[in-house]
Amino acid sequence: MTFDQILGHDRQKEILSRSLASGRLAHAYLFSGPDGVGKRLMALALARAIVCHEQRGCGNCLACRKIDHQNHPDLHLLEPDGNSIKIEQVRSFQKDLHLKPLEASRKICLIEEADSMTVGAANALLKTLEEPRGDTLLILLTAHPNRLLETIRSRCQPLPFTRHPNSRIQAQLEKQLGIDSTESHVLAALSEGSFKKAFGKDRELYLDKRRKLLKTLTGLSPGSILPILDFAEQISADKTVLPDILEIFQAFYRDVMMILQGRGDNHLVNLDLKEKIHRVSGRENIASILAKLEALIEVRRQLDRNVNRQLAMEVLLLKLAA
Amino acid sequence: MAYLVLARKWRPQYFADLIGQEHVSQTLANAIRSGRIHHAFLFTGARGVGKTSAARILAKALNCETGLTDQPCNTCSSCTEITSGQGMDVIEIDGASNTGVDDVRELRENIRYMPSRSRFKIFIIDEVHMLSTNAFNALLKTLEEPPEHAKFIFATTEPHKIPITILSRCQRFDFRKIPLAKVAVRLREISTAEELTISDRSLGLIARQGEGSMRDALSTFDQVLAFSGDQVEDEAVQTLLGMVDRRLLLDTVEAILQRDSRRALESAHRVDQLGLALRRFTQDLLEMFRGMVICKVVDEPAELLDMVGDELKVLKLLAEDASLEDLQRIVTLLMKTQLELVNSNSPLLALEMSLVRLATLAPSQDLGKLISHIESLERRLTSAPLPTYRPQAVPKAPAAEPPPPKKPEAPVATTTDSKRWQGLVDMVKQSRPMLGSVLEHGRPLKLEAPILDVGYPKGSFMIGQLQEDDIRHDLEALATEYFGTTIKLKVSMVDAEAQDAPKSLVETRQEEETDRMRRLREDAVEHPALKAVQDVFGGRIKKVIPIDKGFV
Ligand SMILES: [Zn+2]
Ligand SMILES: [Zn+2]
Repeated sequence: MTFDQILGHDRQKEILSRSLASGRLAHAYLFSGPDGVGKRLMALALARAIVCHEQRGCGNCLACRKIDHQNHPDLHLLEPDGNSIKIEQVRSFQKDLHLKPLEASRKICLIEEADSMTVGAANALLKTLEEPRGDTLLILLTAHPNRLLETIRSRCQPLPFTRHPNSRIQAQLEKQLGIDSTESHVLAALSEGSFKKAFGKDRELYLDKRRKLLKTLTGLSPGSILPILDFAEQISADKTVLPDILEIFQAFYRDVMMILQGRGDNHLVNLDLKEKIHRVSGRENIASILAKLEALIEVRRQLDRNVNRQLAMEVLLLKLAA
Repeated sequence: MAYLVLARKWRPQYFADLIGQEHVSQTLANAIRSGRIHHAFLFTGARGVGKTSAARILAKALNCETGLTDQPCNTCSSCTEITSGQGMDVIEIDGASNTGVDDVRELRENIRYMPSRSRFKIFIIDEVHMLSTNAFNALLKTLEEPPEHAKFIFATTEPHKIPITILSRCQRFDFRKIPLAKVAVRLREISTAEELTISDRSLGLIARQGEGSMRDALSTFDQVLAFSGDQVEDEAVQTLLGMVDRRLLLDTVEAILQRDSRRALESAHRVDQLGLALRRFTQDLLEMFRGMVICKVVDEPAELLDMVGDELKVLKLLAEDASLEDLQRIVTLLMKTQLELVNSNSPLLALEMSLVRLATLAPSQDLGKLISHIESLERRLTSAPLPTYRPQAVPKAPAAEPPPPKKPEAPVATTTDSKRWQGLVDMVKQSRPMLGSVLEHGRPLKLEAPILDVGYPKGSFMIGQLQEDDIRHDLEALATEYFGTTIKLKVSMVDAEAQDAPKSLVETRQEEETDRMRRLREDAVEHPALKAVQDVFGGRIKKVIPIDKGFV
């Protein structure tokens, strides 16, 4: 993967390639931004540009290929062991860093999910980040820069990555999956600007089942409780799918909000359900729709804390049906 | 040779280089000149303000081969070793990596030996707050009886995590965040030395990124230079720092203040399309509204706001049309949004909802005006001439004089009267909250000009309060203003149990609440979900708690 092959992030590419060319590459970077937008790809592209025998990350030379296979002796990866990066990991990593690079001009270290470092691990890394050996490059990757210690952030050159515009994702979905433009629009709109999310989506759920789910949801009425309980049981059955279902609900009510605010149909996620969206918006007002979205956000937060799923869904659906 | 980042290349080498920490460097230099030097120092303060640099300068000053000096030579072998971070007698310990008691024990062993060739053996412990409790205890023993030849310098960003026993044995120096202007001056010095071309405006923007930390500002500067080379254009800095276009911000502010939620949403869309960081945008928006609040409450806002002339003018103009209360509510909501964005699964939606909410806030000022309008209308109505059905037009007939209009005896029961009472109490509450709450507990026995008779249960301390001359006088004045005619206050004692007397506002509210609770309870008990739970698990209902007080 060379810089050119990475989609988007032109500014970030330019910063890195210019720094490399002018010999002003910092010794520590913090790549921050949503999951799945290409931070890791960018880090590996930078690594290739550094080690490449042709000095351009050609992808063909032995050094480039070693980076691609992640067996280059000067490429070090530090990733969470279980849920976190622990202090022992940081210490043994630091031992490696004390040695000279073997084949390349620098040692390149990627710390993935840097926000998962324990407090001890993070503090132990501070000295290394501040004054590493001259021939070391540290790249920290994180989707949650604010969860890092301030002292860590302060020692790295920040390089924020942003979401991809939906149009870019949509184009790639159509090109690579051969799906039609309505389907690609829905998937792209639900991807939060992340290629990983867009391509990782369960297409059956997001395309066909979505319509059925929304039909049931909008058919609920506050007066008849049994269908609500049934539906709650149904959607909470599978723990892994539930977040996706909630995301679908959320996108639907967002669409209703858009219509209530007089935004054009082109701002909708559910392009194929315009009629339903307009119908529902007829019986909502802005306060009620904000309350429903709020309830959805709240329940997604609760699920992160392992509450009783079915109970949470019952409460949620009662609010949504109101 | 790898590129040395500016923060390392320009690390302060003299006390005089410690920008913004003059209070520290002066005290330290004085101590050295006088030769009275404490054996343990604690440097505290935010990241990147010069703690580690100060520790190294102090170490050099203590051990410089030219003698104890506040101007270390920076050329002798002791000084150069310290600069490179590896001296024989200056031991830098990373508190975070050497947290255990064994590490401290090793340190204590080490302390016993005399310095090999310098005056002092100096231990610099960075991130000292990371030491374990046992390690602190071991360290304490050393600090209690330190050998003559040992000096300790501790540095930390989190002094509150250090045991008080240690704190009390250190001379403590609190490093401050560095003012924007001083950072900018330092950046100018560096640019001159590095022969760079860059405008003051750009340096200002870079300095602002540091938020009081020199290291952060220098790190941003590095990034700018890596991008631009030695000739830095303002535009490049703007793009690079992901600055949000002022026009877009102003548009959004206007949309919010004009309650144009559609346009506010359009802003969110543009932010997204431009690939701007949502938190950054929210932060900038927050700054704008904060600026407006400051414009409203301060005569000379320029001092408090890092803003150039034009921006300030626009801000003042915008602030003129908005009420302070509105602006404060907006600031509060945006602060909440900032927090939500940090952990949100769907940050764009969070921003969209926030903007819609802001642009649909009920305007507080107009509402206030409306209420006072209605109130003055009501007042005029209630103090208006007698209603027309009164038998005024009836021709005089001495024999059959119509009975005088029946004065309502206590209890005051008509809805008009209870509304007027409520109105009076509300008005009193606005200017005299305490007095208002005293009235809320009173029963409006009689409410007819010129007498206002308020009853309290026997023994209530409120009776005494209302009988004080000042309070009585104030209340009568307020009531006179409210009813538009002179009012005299009478305070009566009533039987607390009496059912026929009118209720106080507090009592009414309690009853309504109880009534509502009863209804809620009924609803809850009838709820099928609850019934199902009871069927399955048995059990009984202990308490019904309303959860409706969440959303706006
Ligand atoms: Zn190559
Ligand atoms: Zn010296």
